Amino acid sequence: MEFRKKTLTNGLDIVGELNKSAKSVAVGFFIKTGSRDETKQINGASHFLEHMLFKGTERLSAIEVNEAFDRTGAQYNAFTSEENTVFYAAVLPEYFARVTELWIELMRPALRDQDFNIEKNVIKEEIAMYKDLPSFDVVDRCRSLHFDTHPCGNSVLGSEESVEALQANQMRDYFMRRYVPNNMVLACAGNFEWERLCSLAEQTCCGWQRQTVERELQHFTGSKRKEHIKKANLAREHICLMSAGVSAQNERRFAASLLAAIIGDEVGSRYYWQLIDKAIAETAVMQFGAMDGTGAFCSYIRCGSENVPEVLGIINGIFVDLSKAGITKEELIKAKNKMLSALVIKNELPMGRLIDLGFNWIYLKQYRTVDDDINAIKAVTVKDINLLIRHLEPGDFTQFSIGPTQSE
Amino acid sequence: MAMIEKLDKHTLKNGMVILGEQMEAVQSVAFGFMLPAGAAMLPDDCCGAANVIADWIFRGAGDKNSRQLSDALDGLGLHRASSISSSHISIGAALEASNLSQALDLHADIIIRPSLDKDQFELARQLAIDGVQALDDDPRQKVMLKLKEQFYPAPLGRSTAGDIEQLSSLTAEQTGQIVKDSFSLSESIFAVAGKYDFDSVCRQLDGLFGTVSARQVEPSVLGLKAEKYQHIPNEGAQVHIGLMTETVKLTDSDYYNARVAMSVLSGGMSARLFTEVREKRGLCYAVGARYHALKETAGIMCYAGTIPENAQETLDVIMREFNRLREGISEDEIERAKAGLKSMLILQSESSSSRAGGIATDYYMLGRVRSLDEIKNRIDATSVDSILRFLQNNEFREFTVVTIGPKQVSVQ
Repeated sequence: MEFRKKTLTNGLDIVGELNKSAKSVAVGFFIKTGSRDETKQINGASHFLEHMLFKGTERLSAIEVNEAFDRTGAQYNAFTSEENTVFYAAVLPEYFARVTELWIELMRPALRDQDFNIEKNVIKEEIAMYKDLPSFDVVDRCRSLHFDTHPCGNSVLGSEESVEALQANQMRDYFMRRYVPNNMVLACAGNFEWERLCSLAEQTCCGWQRQTVERELQHFTGSKRKEHIKKANLAREHICLMSAGVSAQNERRFAASLLAAIIGDEVGSRYYWQLIDKAIAETAVMQFGAMDGTGAFCSYIRCGSENVPEVLGIINGIFVDLSKAGITKEELIKAKNKMLSALVIKNELPMGRLIDLGFNWIYLKQYRTVDDDINAIKAVTVKDINLLIRHLEPGDFTQFSIGPTQSE
Repeated sequence: MAMIEKLDKHTLKNGMVILGEQMEAVQSVAFGFMLPAGAAMLPDDCCGAANVIADWIFRGAGDKNSRQLSDALDGLGLHRASSISSSHISIGAALEASNLSQALDLHADIIIRPSLDKDQFELARQLAIDGVQALDDDPRQKVMLKLKEQFYPAPLGRSTAGDIEQLSSLTAEQTGQIVKDSFSLSESIFAVAGKYDFDSVCRQLDGLFGTVSARQVEPSVLGLKAEKYQHIPNEGAQVHIGLMTETVKLTDSDYYNARVAMSVLSGGMSARLFTEVREKRGLCYAVGARYHALKETAGIMCYAGTIPENAQETLDVIMREFNRLREGISEDEIERAKAGLKSMLILQSESSSSRAGGIATDYYMLGRVRSLDEIKNRIDATSVDSILRFLQNNEFREFTVVTIGPKQVSVQ
């Protein structure tokens, strides 16, 4: 593995990790923009814009873009979160240049009215699809409740109303402000030639204009409010809990991830033994999400409505125990072993490696090897995690639930 | 560039087949046991038992209770992956290569010496029932399970999640007997991929499983297909449409023609369904079709989700695209379809888990494992002519359709 880095004069960072033994290569653009960078008036614009980038350029129609990608056999897509928009493709090395050129070209899209109007229907369908997935819907609503007035509470998809009201010129304006070279990273991992990547980027990206970009960055500990809504067509109760975490820039993020695994990994965690093993809940998991300047723990629990009081009682007991007695050494060892093997397995694929490479650059402007992360995980102690529990009080959470009955 | 991968193969005395594929670039190893106890292999009236079993056997085995077993697996940093198909319960894991031997010891206990404790049975059964109920809140997944039930002749399409009534009357004795009868090692396949030493894996598995006697599993007697259209009312935001039609099996000489044709219909984003349904008309966010094979028969499965006002048009456009395929395909479309299939093959070959799954499935379906080069060459050998000839000789005649949502559709 060899790391290379270059910054163009307009501020575009290019980072690459070369692995000549890989059979494929993954390449992508990471743009530091998401729903937290939107105002209420344009909520949903980042995600809509992600769709619109596939709709072509002055030179290419949407159908030509799709054909150009498919000719390379690429596995490609994009995703938008509260704070990032990522476009990625995995291809065989012989198609590397073609697919990289294509991404570079698409970063300056035409954003045509006609495409905008058709795609609006697709976005509304996507919103409708997630409405029918309460396991997703409950997390989205809990995030809004938890972050309250903080911009991280903005929905990624937006609402049907906000998307309906969105105008093409508002999106163009948002694009001009956010897709600027100093707010983007071009990343590449796997079997490719570094010089080729740089020359492709220099040919086209040098013409992109640098511009000042801002983001509101205050930390937020959460509203701690509790809400429930009834949806008569549901069969189960879906519960989401969120509490304050540490940021993606904070070195305690590894301890926070281990704590989430100890509390709510799919198997072998406290949730697992006290809720799933006993068949009181069907699903109960916790994850930690580190974000720009802030962070959050998020639990998702699904159970029968009749079990809700018992489930919440048990969860309360888990957090009381944790704040009184902390975690055990055995729990930490198991959580570390699982996290280390997941890390190794994920990073064996160029696509997995690309995601870590890109996000480490977005959040830290730092190259981290897989070994750097392995060592950081290994170094976490029981004391570190117990201090984190005391400091973050994960039992003091925001709660949102959706289910077939009136009371939670 | 020729792709050279070496396949390891060994058969234990009792008939259990051991397959392996070495991968130079990885530090991990993935393995899986395919046990012939899938949903269609079980006795009648216990639909869902495979799910109960896949949980129950982990609730204590050998000299370890449930907690000790789980702690031992977690201690190895193992990522468990169990799944139920029509034909098999698959139990496997991915982990760092140095822990493989210990993981295999624990899996021998789980497969040959599960405790099958009665109290633990009730918990595993309750979780299986909860899982079926949760499907009501995931119409997209539910529609595809229902579609397989409707499309395949019974019991092949039997729900892999289960049936609440049958799960409710299932007993520990009955289920314990199924474990004894169905975990037939002579028809089980073990596959490993990644970093491992084949001789020591074989020696270890021979010691763990080699002396366990073999039983024959009775093939199921096939029933009739269900009706062509089923609608399940649900006051949700979308109509979830599942559509399925028959095609050739993996053993058929036209298999690769069928796969490339499917890729023209729904491979990448330039494929017909995505272009016609989403790009040109904006009818759906999610629309796609894929090949789904059992050993006995195979089908093309299609999903689309759309708001009620668009449901009929979506179905009509999809069916038109299925039928229009045989009227003509361009060279460029075929080239894109081939590029997509070949690149997916190689990208997946970088993951130890997908390779372990791939070689085991090949062996079950074909009785041998295809090399990546063989698959690549067979894809390359298809042409516009061979694919159109295949489509004209195998018209899509019957469609099975299932919808879940606030509105029905009409199916011609």
